[in-house]
Amino acid sequence: MVLFNRKGKTTSDIIFDCMIFVFCVFIFLIIAYPLYFVVIASVSDSTLVSTGKVLLYPKGFSLFGYTEIFKDTRIWVGYKNTIIYTLLGTFVNLLFTLPAAYVLSRQEFKARRFLMFVFVFTMFFNGGLIPTYLLMKDLHLTNNMWVFIVPFSVNVFNLIITRTFFESSLPKELFEAAQMDGCTHFQFFGKVALPLSKAVISVVGLYYLVGHWNDFFTGLIYIRDYSLQPLQIVLRDILISNQVFAEGAGSGGAAGGYAQKYADQIKYGVIIVSTLPILLVYPFIQKYFEKGVMIGSVKG
Amino acid sequence: MAFINAETKKINENLSSINSVKPTKKANVWNTFKRDYQLWLMILPAIVVIVIFNYIPMYGIQLAFREFDFTKGFTGGEWVGLKYFDQFIHNYMFKDLITNTITISLATIILGFPAPIIMALIINQVFGKRWKKTLQTTVYLPHFISMVVMVGLLNVLLSPETGVVGHLMKALGLGDINLLASEKIFVPVYVLSDIWQHAGWNSIIYLAALASVDPQLYDSAKIDGASRWQTIRYVDIPAIVPTMIILFILSMGNILNTGFEKIFLMQNPLNLPVSEVIATYVYKIGIISSQFSYSAAIGLFNTLINFVFLLAMNTIAKRFSNISLW
Amino acid sequence: MRKKKFVKGFLALSLSATVLAACSNDQAASDGKGSSGKTKDGKVQLTALITKHPLTQDLKKMKWLEEVEKRAGVDIKWQEVTADWDQKKGALLASGDVPDLIIGPNAITDADYVQYNGLFEDLSDDLDKSLPNVKKMFEAKPETKGIATQLDGKIYGLPKYQRFWPATATRQFINQKWLDNLGLKQPTNWDELYDVLVAFKEKDANGNGDPNDEIPMDFSPTGTGGFGFFQPTVLLGSTGITLGEGSGQGYYVENGKVKNFFTDERYKDFVKFLNKCYKAGLISKEVFTQDYTKYQSVARGNGDVAKVGYTYGWELTDRFGNTLAPQYATLAPLKQTADSTAKVTWTYDYNSLNYGANMITLSAQSTNKDAAMKFINELYDPKVSMQVLFGSMGTNIADNGDGSYKVLPPTDSKMDPGTWKWTSTWADNGPMYIADDLKLELGTDMQSVGKQTEPLMGAIDAIDKDNDLFPGMFIKYSKEDNSKLALNNTNLMNLAMPKYSQWITKGGIDKDWNAYVKNVEKTGLFENLKIMQKYYDDYMKNKK
Repeated sequence: MVLFNRKGKTTSDIIFDCMIFVFCVFIFLIIAYPLYFVVIASVSDSTLVSTGKVLLYPKGFSLFGYTEIFKDTRIWVGYKNTIIYTLLGTFVNLLFTLPAAYVLSRQEFKARRFLMFVFVFTMFFNGGLIPTYLLMKDLHLTNNMWVFIVPFSVNVFNLIITRTFFESSLPKELFEAAQMDGCTHFQFFGKVALPLSKAVISVVGLYYLVGHWNDFFTGLIYIRDYSLQPLQIVLRDILISNQVFAEGAGSGGAAGGYAQKYADQIKYGVIIVSTLPILLVYPFIQKYFEKGVMIGSVKG
Repeated sequence: MAFINAETKKINENLSSINSVKPTKKANVWNTFKRDYQLWLMILPAIVVIVIFNYIPMYGIQLAFREFDFTKGFTGGEWVGLKYFDQFIHNYMFKDLITNTITISLATIILGFPAPIIMALIINQVFGKRWKKTLQTTVYLPHFISMVVMVGLLNVLLSPETGVVGHLMKALGLGDINLLASEKIFVPVYVLSDIWQHAGWNSIIYLAALASVDPQLYDSAKIDGASRWQTIRYVDIPAIVPTMIILFILSMGNILNTGFEKIFLMQNPLNLPVSEVIATYVYKIGIISSQFSYSAAIGLFNTLINFVFLLAMNTIAKRFSNISLW
Repeated sequence: MRKKKFVKGFLALSLSATVLAACSNDQAASDGKGSSGKTKDGKVQLTALITKHPLTQDLKKMKWLEEVEKRAGVDIKWQEVTADWDQKKGALLASGDVPDLIIGPNAITDADYVQYNGLFEDLSDDLDKSLPNVKKMFEAKPETKGIATQLDGKIYGLPKYQRFWPATATRQFINQKWLDNLGLKQPTNWDELYDVLVAFKEKDANGNGDPNDEIPMDFSPTGTGGFGFFQPTVLLGSTGITLGEGSGQGYYVENGKVKNFFTDERYKDFVKFLNKCYKAGLISKEVFTQDYTKYQSVARGNGDVAKVGYTYGWELTDRFGNTLAPQYATLAPLKQTADSTAKVTWTYDYNSLNYGANMITLSAQSTNKDAAMKFINELYDPKVSMQVLFGSMGTNIADNGDGSYKVLPPTDSKMDPGTWKWTSTWADNGPMYIADDLKLELGTDMQSVGKQTEPLMGAIDAIDKDNDLFPGMFIKYSKEDNSKLALNNTNLMNLAMPKYSQWITKGGIDKDWNAYVKNVEKTGLFENLKIMQKYYDDYMKNKK
């Protein structure tokens, strides 16, 4: 662990390093403890958890929460669907967004400002749920897996971020220089822009990926068949099934002691189950955030 | 090959013609199109998707000005103009709703905007690769916790009798304050827990920007004898300024958006005077009797204000820097 | 050159793929309208949606349902919704994409019938021919017909009647063991209750050596939309106010007049009493911030050491868990003061617990109405209804052979009967008619509730049901009035609930009262009272 590099340090730098160290530890603890709590709570007795008896280690250890979650066979269908929708969806997202962002970053493109306005406008004004639903119905996208992939494939926020990156890292001069050699926009995009933008592609790709992974609203409204539902819907169902309802007591027995004991385990277990895959994917993307990814591109 | 040369020649000709003489309007547009047809092709899929899925359903906005009549379809209802806007503005709750909404939003923006930036700058300074990765991974994890679980977590941890934070506060002698009960503390708890949950994730984009900084800049800074702090000020920060500006403009465009689920879950009778916002109000009047037109009107009102703010911010940004949305 | 072609070609390919996908019609994706196919053995195919309780098992596993479908000659494709129904409903209805049958407690509301005029089938003219069982229910229990009939005389949704539920949902419980430990008698009025609570707090009532771990009084978390079950508002019964339907937002009827207790002096007394208790540390400090899970957990104490002294709940084992339940007893309704002359009463929930509106609806666009109605009719046969409520014959109900039946205990011994019921079948979420003359012996949970309600029955039986009760379930409002009521109530709740919690925790009700009443007027409460009074008067007139 090399936190301090003693070579040529001034006092102010050492103080600086100390402060950074303190901050980092603070941030780490503040964030890590509740996450750790989630893990131990997912295997502890719920009653003990909600009365605050569980602090540093699990109490009343039981895997009921996880068995409940995994014995529901829908979860494997959910995992499968989500993986398909996420991979396919992210691919389409990038396919549409990256070229569009590139175009919008070219200052010589006359319609640039107008089109940007057209895109941004949709971030604010939309027709509402019902007209959108009717449109999906007319396009036969309801109860159909493509509703996860095509309709919302361009997220304007991500488009803007990508455009900003292209603007600052692909100046006009670069393209003009290439143009002299007979390069077209297509070629420039494919051969120069994309390789230089690994960082932003990773970020935007990650955003889209996580967007798909966490999406439960699309499935909620447009899908009827359980065989098409993504993971989040299944988890949400399991989660809500195991809450304890106040009105439930008389007109419903969910408050019965049996369900009571394990209710919260499921709540916390659900987080783990849904986050674990992302945790596995992230390290692969993270390496694109390393310093010095863009070596020697623009001189002067 | 010959094709490309002809293309290039045409492009060069157009470039020079634009620089020298002002052609007729018609020729200008056609030339532009011919020159830029590749760009148009590249942006076409995105335009098609947006037009179909965002612009076609936009006729739904006119519902805010009509009585929703199911038998007459979506556009057949009686035109009532500004009736529902009027109803909303003269509503007994209007002032409180707007005040609460703006308070929560502004607090979220003012505190929530710098947090990811600072976090990115700090993480960027960590030297050990492993530590940096661990820290990064840890801080973005809370983003994945769903709202229902997040609020449940808050209730457990912040409980004055049984929560960890409650115990801490008792140790500090502040045992009498119930963090979940007080009107005054609702907004800080809401905003701080929001930062806790999302700052890490939001810092990713700044970290990516910092990763694209040319290492030569760092080298020359060191050669010039810059301290770490000065390096941050003169190398790191300028690298992320474009991102900062764009994200800030966009967040100002959310001035009346507080998000519904978290506030709804955190509401209780004690904090209701400050926690009732436009989104929760619309939900409450909506579930009792599907008030489509009324909620459409409120939604449109909400959006218009947001949009005006966005326009204002964008114009200001354009004036003072050359970075803006359009 | 190649790159350009490649990119162009790829773009073209993806565009066409998109268009193809958009136009492709997945065969399995039905658009929900009544399918007009028949299965191989001649059964009619129907689509149905049910809003079921999350605990309920897969419908395919319910034997009684399989038998009912067979008898009606139908094969139903079920969509089972356990969460987020209000979000799904909007899109479903507005797009006209309605399944043949929709089942669930008030899944489609009276307001929806008006809003989506023409979407649902009027069943009032089908009673004689296709729905004889429903007709029998209407004749035996005329109130059910009242619940089902809309303002225009049509019937779009059928109600349920389940007969066995108690007259009130909220019972007040007190720890008898603590009373015995401290040599105290059960309190009979508010002042005595106060003294008992003080003793609980100061004298180590649970005898574990720690005088500070008792919570003398706890009540269920109050929502922001009004009061619900298991709230201290039941104490208003001591002042003579009979709560019932509508009391969540403060409405009640007294001597034929519709009133609201939020501006009543007696409500002021009630809040002052709670404030007095809170100030003395007798009420849990987390009473307004804990959620229902926590509320229930706390009451389960620590092993066999109880934590809570006086509280409200549905039934003893549900509230306190099996270990501690024996320590508690139901407390009879209290008087306000020792010499109070107000007629002591208690919340009356019989109607809301035993009747339900709009349990099942039929789509007007269905192409198989006859078959669907046959199915509906089967459900209302009391012998079938019994299984809708408790579960299949054989596993959940025993046929004694002599025309009487018995509800069986759960096959999983660790499960309580309530959870077992909800897991096995539709339970209270289904349409049903449990005839008064059906001989059915109930399970232990229902019997306990009955027994635990006995101390309250004196007050409940004395309620003048004609003049002191608001018949909320039987009143249908017009669309405009419904909107007005809803909007004004939202305003009222936003003002009254915070004040309620503030006065209890911080006091100051005397100081704030006059300004508060003026603000209440601004919320539109009086407009609501006028509207409700008009409908109440019309209803009472037509009843005669």
